[in-house]
Order: sequence, then structure tokens, then C-alpha cells
Amino acid sequence: MGLYEYSWIVLFAPLLSFVVIIFGTRVGDMLSRPRVAVATTHAEEHAVETHGTHGEDHGQHGEDDDDDPKVPQLTQWAVVSGYVGIAIMAIAAIYSWILLFYSAFVPSSMPANGLNDIFSYNWFNQGATGSYVIAFHIDHLAIAMLVVVTTISLLVNIYSQGYMENSAGYARFYAYLSLFAFSMLVIVFAQNFLVIFIGWELVGLSSYLLIGFWINKRAKPEEQRPSPATASMQAFVMNRIGDVGFIIGIMILFANTGTFDFQKLAVDVTHMDKTVLTIAMILIFCGAIGKSAQFPLHSWLPSAMEGPTPVSALIHAATMVAAGVYMVARVFPLYLVAFPAAFLVVAWVGGFTALFAATIALVQSDFKRVLAFSTISQLGYMFVGLGVGGAEYGPGPGMFHLFTHAFFKALLFLCAGSVLHGLHHATHREVQDMRQMGGLATRMPITAITFLIATCAISGVPLFAGFFSKDTIIGLTLERGNWGLYIITLFTAGLTAFYMLRAYILAFGGTDGKFGGLWGGTYRGEGEPHESPPTMTIPLIVLAIASVVAGYWFGFFDYLHPGAPALSFGSIFSDGLTYIGIVTAVVGLVVAYVMYARVDGAKLHAAVENNAVLRTAHRILYNRYYLDTLYDWIARYLVLGLAHIAQAFDAYVVDGIVNGVASFVMFLGRDVRRTETGRVQSYMIGFFGGVAVLAAVVFVLVTYVR
Amino acid sequence: MILATILFWVFAVILVGAALLVVGLRNIVHSAIALVLVFAMAAGVYLLLDAEFIAIVQILIYAGAVTILILFALMLTRITGQPTTNPSNRLWPVAFIISALVGLCIVLAIMLSPHAVSDVSNGASQLPANINNVARIGQLLYSPSAYSYVLPFEIASVVLLVAIIGAIVIAREE
Amino acid sequence: MGLTLYHFLILGAVLFCIGLYGAIAKRNAIAVLMGIEIMLNAVNVTLVGFSFFNTVKPYATYLTGQIFAIFIITVAAAEAAVALAMVIAIYRKRNTVDVSEINMMKW
Repeated sequence: MGLYEYSWIVLFAPLLSFVVIIFGTRVGDMLSRPRVAVATTHAEEHAVETHGTHGEDHGQHGEDDDDDPKVPQLTQWAVVSGYVGIAIMAIAAIYSWILLFYSAFVPSSMPANGLNDIFSYNWFNQGATGSYVIAFHIDHLAIAMLVVVTTISLLVNIYSQGYMENSAGYARFYAYLSLFAFSMLVIVFAQNFLVIFIGWELVGLSSYLLIGFWINKRAKPEEQRPSPATASMQAFVMNRIGDVGFIIGIMILFANTGTFDFQKLAVDVTHMDKTVLTIAMILIFCGAIGKSAQFPLHSWLPSAMEGPTPVSALIHAATMVAAGVYMVARVFPLYLVAFPAAFLVVAWVGGFTALFAATIALVQSDFKRVLAFSTISQLGYMFVGLGVGGAEYGPGPGMFHLFTHAFFKALLFLCAGSVLHGLHHATHREVQDMRQMGGLATRMPITAITFLIATCAISGVPLFAGFFSKDTIIGLTLERGNWGLYIITLFTAGLTAFYMLRAYILAFGGTDGKFGGLWGGTYRGEGEPHESPPTMTIPLIVLAIASVVAGYWFGFFDYLHPGAPALSFGSIFSDGLTYIGIVTAVVGLVVAYVMYARVDGAKLHAAVENNAVLRTAHRILYNRYYLDTLYDWIARYLVLGLAHIAQAFDAYVVDGIVNGVASFVMFLGRDVRRTETGRVQSYMIGFFGGVAVLAAVVFVLVTYVR
Repeated sequence: MILATILFWVFAVILVGAALLVVGLRNIVHSAIALVLVFAMAAGVYLLLDAEFIAIVQILIYAGAVTILILFALMLTRITGQPTTNPSNRLWPVAFIISALVGLCIVLAIMLSPHAVSDVSNGASQLPANINNVARIGQLLYSPSAYSYVLPFEIASVVLLVAIIGAIVIAREE
Repeated sequence: MGLTLYHFLILGAVLFCIGLYGAIAKRNAIAVLMGIEIMLNAVNVTLVGFSFFNTVKPYATYLTGQIFAIFIITVAAAEAAVALAMVIAIYRKRNTVDVSEINMMKW
């Protein structure tokens, strides 16, 4: 019991770290840069941060300096910031692992519904109508997510030491990472919708800050890449669009039951009208669509790749985008009470998105973008898992895939970061295009091996983590009789295997590499890339181990939803469907291998270009089904058009009314005063005129109104 | 009482005509003379109504004092070089209409309202025969009996005093 | 037809209107005063007419209308004196008796 009581330490530790860094060590960092110019405004502060102070050796003050400003040597304060972040995150991670083992091996320590009010703050009490409490609670679901968040956060913090070396915004980066960790933990620990919404928005904020970390970086329209500032705005706004549905759903629930608390809701919604409840749950899922980048609010995730790669790994692979999944899992009892339509919506949106994103990922040439679409696709799988779980399995399948996915996706992104870091060093430019990589395996062996392990995990190769989680979901869809979803998820698994191996071969292999093109080959870029420092490779290795091992927690479903059937080798390998899944994955891998390791790149390119069908298909997929163009058109013409109309309305109608009132008053003043002529005779005219009128009125009244 | 009727119409026509002259003539001194005629004819009307004292007082005060006063004032406020000394102002059509309307209203009120008077007979015949108008008015004004107008009389004298002093004060040369 | 009250009342009404017109539409201050005098005379005529034709109550012996007329004459004379004094004073100051030019209370 005691362990759980103090679990708020995990929640508030990153907040402490954030405060310490922002107000302490970063200030020290700012002040201790050589030849200090004390900044007085925010803009100046950023100028000091990015360009150092006057008199620094600007040297090659080229485009790159503005994009990713560096300092020749990190100050002590900056280094301390890094250590503060890492240390505190380590404490949180260790505590959460302890909690995990404690709750797993001593199941009686936690009551069935979890422990409420670990930390509770009565925010606003409206008496009979409702009380608004900031409350946090812990249960098995929370602990499972906690482990994921803190572990990956810790690994990313350690990784950032190497990736963000000599960056001018080093301290700021760690501050934001801590802020993000805190926000995510608010979501994890939330006991009611209020708190989860607060955390939701905080996470959006952190994402905004971190995506737009490189403030002055410019857009690259030739590569279809926006500037980080634009991308961060896009992420935030798309999130917000999803939040509209989210808020409306929450409000519907509150209006009908009078409470935000999850556990009270789980009881109260049984008395609610089911149609209303179903609508509310679908609307709440809209929030998850926005946060977890499902169709149609998916466009922000590829743009979010403009942020530093550790950010992509932490936020846009493992944790923040999983917040949507977590939230749906959290309100799973409510979904159980609603009509099955709610689950179906969740599952189908997820399934469609999975297929949609996988097809786009097939042809992308930007390394991180392939991974971004892969994330969208895997998130779709998670939602499918949640949708088909039902009362028997609970949120288990979806959450299990979240659990394993976090590890191997973070690993994939960190490997990508390692590659980009190495290429940046080699070419002194930012290189993200896979067409300029190739054969990196011999130059960056550790990265290559871990990437390969992650590829196997995500493709669903047996005995790796992804296999267990993904195939469970695919099997469940058929078990529920949903043939459409089954075909979709199965086909997408094949596509996933294909594009992941394609990415691997394009980056690390080549037609003339060892092991038949899988290891090394010709390097199509410039310079000599080399392996990353241990501070970056060690997290890779740790995550690689996790990608294999994490799948073996067979009791996961029971851990989350007592009474759910457990996985076991026997049940998996005796089921014929499993083999169909394995075969699909292998087919995808083989096709990718043949196309990219055996066939020459130029011949492949020519074959696609010459065939009209393939060419148009390629173009459509490359341009992401032109959805981004559509969104741009909508924003530019519909939204801005409405804004212009509103502005015209404001200028002409509203201001017109106000000015009209003013001019009417002026008219009164200017023209009515003319009646005061100062001449008694004109007054007498009015006087006797009034007498005449009154007399007439009285006459009429007296004679006729008798 | 045919004579009375004829006299009435004579007096009335001249009265109204003179009043129109007062407001219509362009020379203000001519207007003042017409005003005298107005006062005189009014006195005649009073005589018809068995109010001799009022008639004489009208001549004395109005046609005598007030007219002289007006003429003196005209003399003292002479402005040479004017085309007309009794012009109308800009709003005279409006004034015409308004006066006509007011007149109409009063006439309507007169014709349509029921009065508690007889419109035929001569009320003055109810007076005791041997008291003439002056004596009667004197009785009403000065008698110490229950019903008298002695208080308004006294106040009227104060009014006159104030008017005298006021006129002197206002018209003083500084 | 014999004389009735209506004759005198309508006479009074007509005179009143004429006097009103004179008071409103004339520019010379003294002409305005003359209009006012006409109005007062109209009132007097009406009042004396009422006193003559009063039969219903024994107020005929009280000659109320005539007493009223006396007092009106008195006050009218006093007022004419004061008013003309004012006209003279204004003439001295402004050298005009045109009432349209005495409009210091204008906006």
C-alpha cells in the first residue's frame, strides 16, 4: 500500500525537473555564455541563445547555423540541465518498474478498481451541480502505461545527450522533455475527464514546443517539408480539431450523469440513454483521432518529423500518440455499456487508417516520414485491437500492441536519429532522403543491427515482440466474425513488412552488399558517416532487447482485465490463422528484398515510370492521396474565406452600427439643438401648436371614446 | 333689443377690423392708433353688457394710459432707416396657421361644451334696481362682509406699486 | 336674433387669435406687446360676457366676471408699464427692438 501512496512522486518529479531547469540551470546557462549580454526581451533571449553573444566566431554562418544553432562548447549549466533531466527521469522510471513488479507479483496489494485519490485537489465546488476535483489514481492500466512512458522517456533523455550535443538550446530541450513527461503522466494518472483533458492539452503544448524546437529553421518546399514552426502549429491545430469532439463528448456525459470521474461514470452510464451514450463515446473517440493521428486528422504526424529525432521517438512514436489509445482504454467500461456501434467505429477507423497509412508509407523517400506513416498505421492496429477486444479481453489487445510498439517504434526512430546524426556530421547538411543513403550497415553496425531487430519486430516475425501483439489482434478480428477488418489488418501486416524492409535496405543495404544485399553496399551520399557515440547507441541496444522481450508478457491481458484469457505458445502456434499471418509477413519481406536488394534501383525506377498505372499510383501515394493539398485548400479558401467574411462583417456591420449610433448622437446634438433659437416667439409657436394638438386629442377622446 | 344687436355687430366688426389693422399695418404708429380703436370698441361692448364701470375704466386705463405709454415707448425706440417699422418675422405663415388652429379649438370648445348658463336672458335684471354698477362693484370690492374682493384689491395695489418701482428701476439711465 | 352668450364668446375667441398672431409673428417688441394687449382685452370681453349672461345661480349679484375684468385691467396696465420699460432698456443697450435679434440663449 505504501508504495502506491507515494506514486505521485512519479507524477511530480518531471515537473520538478522542468521547474529546476527552466528557472535554474537554463538561466545559469544563458548567463554564463561567453561575454554575457543580458537579454531583456524574449526575442533577444532567443538571439542570445541561438547566436551566442557578440564577438563570437561566426565563421560559417550559413543556412545550417540558423537551422540548428550550435555553440562550440556547452556551458556547465547546460550539462547540469541534462543530468538533472536524466536523473529525475531515472528515479521515475525505477519507481515505476518497482510498481510494476510489485503489482504484478503481489496482485492483492491493489484493489480491483485501483487506488483513488493518490493526490487530490478540490478545485471548485458547485455543491449540488457538481464538484470539480483534480484527482489522480493508479491501477494496473496506469502502471502498464507508466512503465512505457518513463522508460522511453529516460532512454530518450540519455540519447539526447549525444544527439543534441553542442546545441544552443540544450537546456531548453531538456526542460521541454521534462514538461512533456509531466504532461503525459498527468494523462496516465488521471482519475477524471477534467484532469485527462488538462493533460491532453499540456501534451499538445509540449508537442508544439518540441516540434518547433528549431525556431529559425526554414521550410523545404522541394522536399515537401514545412518549417518546424508551421509543423508545430499544424500539429496543435489538428489536435484541437479533434478536441472539439472530445469536449462535446465529455460534456454530454457530464450533462447526463453529473460527474467526470471515470469510475463513477462507469456505474452511472448504465442509467443513461444508450443512443446518447454511444454518440458521446464516438465523439470522445474523435479526441483520440486527433491525438493519435488517425484518418482524417493524420496530416500533422508526418509534419511533426520536423522536430529533433529524439522528440519524434518520444512523442510521436511511443507516448503522446498513444495517449489516444490509453484514453479509450481508460473509458473502456463506458464503451462496453454503449451500443456495439461505438466499438465498431473505433475498430473501423483504426483499420482504415492502418491500411491507408501503410499504402502511403510504401513510396515515401524521406526516412523519418516512412516511420511516421508506420506509426499511424500501427496506431490504427491498436484501435482495431481496442475495438474487437470486447468484454472478454478488455482493453488488453490494443494496450499490448501499444506496449510492444512503444519499444520497437522508439527504437526505429532512435536508429533513424543515429543515422541522421552520422550523415549530418559527414555532409554538414541535414540529409533525410533515403535516396542519398545506402550501405550504411558497414559504417554504422550497431545502428543497423538494432534497426533490423526493430524491423523484424514490427513486421511480426515470430518470436519478436510485434508478432505476439499484432497477430493477437488479427486473430481477434476473425474471431469476432469481422471479415473486412481481418482482410485489412492482414494485408496491412504484409505492407508493413514490405516497407520496413525497404527502408532498411535503402538505408543500410544495397544491391552489392554482404548477405545478399542486406549488409552494406554502395553509399550514395557524400562524406564518410560513422557510428554514433555510446550515449546514443546504448539506448538503442536496450530498446532492441526490449523489442524482443516485451512480447513475452503473456499475462498482460489478465493484468489489465482480470479474467481475460492469457496468451501461450500452445494457443498461438496451434491456431492455423497464425501461420497465415506469418506467411503474409514473410511474403512482404521477400518482395521487399527482391525489389530493393536484388534489382537495381535505376531499373526499378524506370519500370515504374514507364507503366502508366504504376506511375499514377506512385504519384498518388507519394503525395499522400493529395489529402494535404485538400486540407491546405480548405484552410486557405474555406476557413480563411470565412475569416474574411467575418472580418468584413465586423468592419461594416458591427463598426457600422457603432459608428451609426455615434453619428446618430452627433446628429441629435448638431441638428436638434437648432430648435433652441433663443427667440421666445418660436417657443410660443411650439407652445400653442401643442395646445392645438392636445385640444384636438382631448376633443376626439371626449366625443368618441364615451 | 334690435338696437343692442345692431350696436353689437357694429362694435364687433370695428373691433375685429381694428385688431386686424393692429397686426397688419406696416407702420407701427398706425398700429398703435388702431389699438386705440380696439380699446374704444371694447368699451362699447362692455356698455352693451351693462358694465359701465368697466367701460369707463377701459377708456381711462387702456385707451388713456396704456396707449400713451405705448406711444412714448415708440417715440423713445425709434429706429430710422427701416423700410417698415412693424415687420413680420420669418415664421409668420406658421404663426398664422397656429393661431387659426387655436381659434378653431376654442370655437369648437365653445360650441360643443354645455354651460350652466342660459344664453338668452338678461342676467343683469336680477340685480336690485336701485344699485348701479359702480356702487355694486364698490360694494363687492370694499365691503367688509363675508363675500368681498377686498384682499385681491389690496394685493392689486401692491402689484401696482411694484410695477411702478420696477419700471423706474428698469428704465433708469445708468 | 337676440344677443346670446355665444356672440361674445366667439368674439373673444377671434380677438384672442388675432392677438396671438400679433404676439407670435411680429418682430417689433412693442408690436408684440400690442398683440398681448389685444389678447387681454379678448379675455376681458369673455369674462364680462359670462357675468352678464349668468342666470342660474344668484351669482349675478356678485358680478364676478366684472371684478375679474377690473383686476385684469389693473394688472395689464402694470405689466405694460414694466414691459415697455424693459423695451426701452433693451433699446438703449442693443439699439434695436427687433425680438429676432435678441437671441443670446441660442445654441
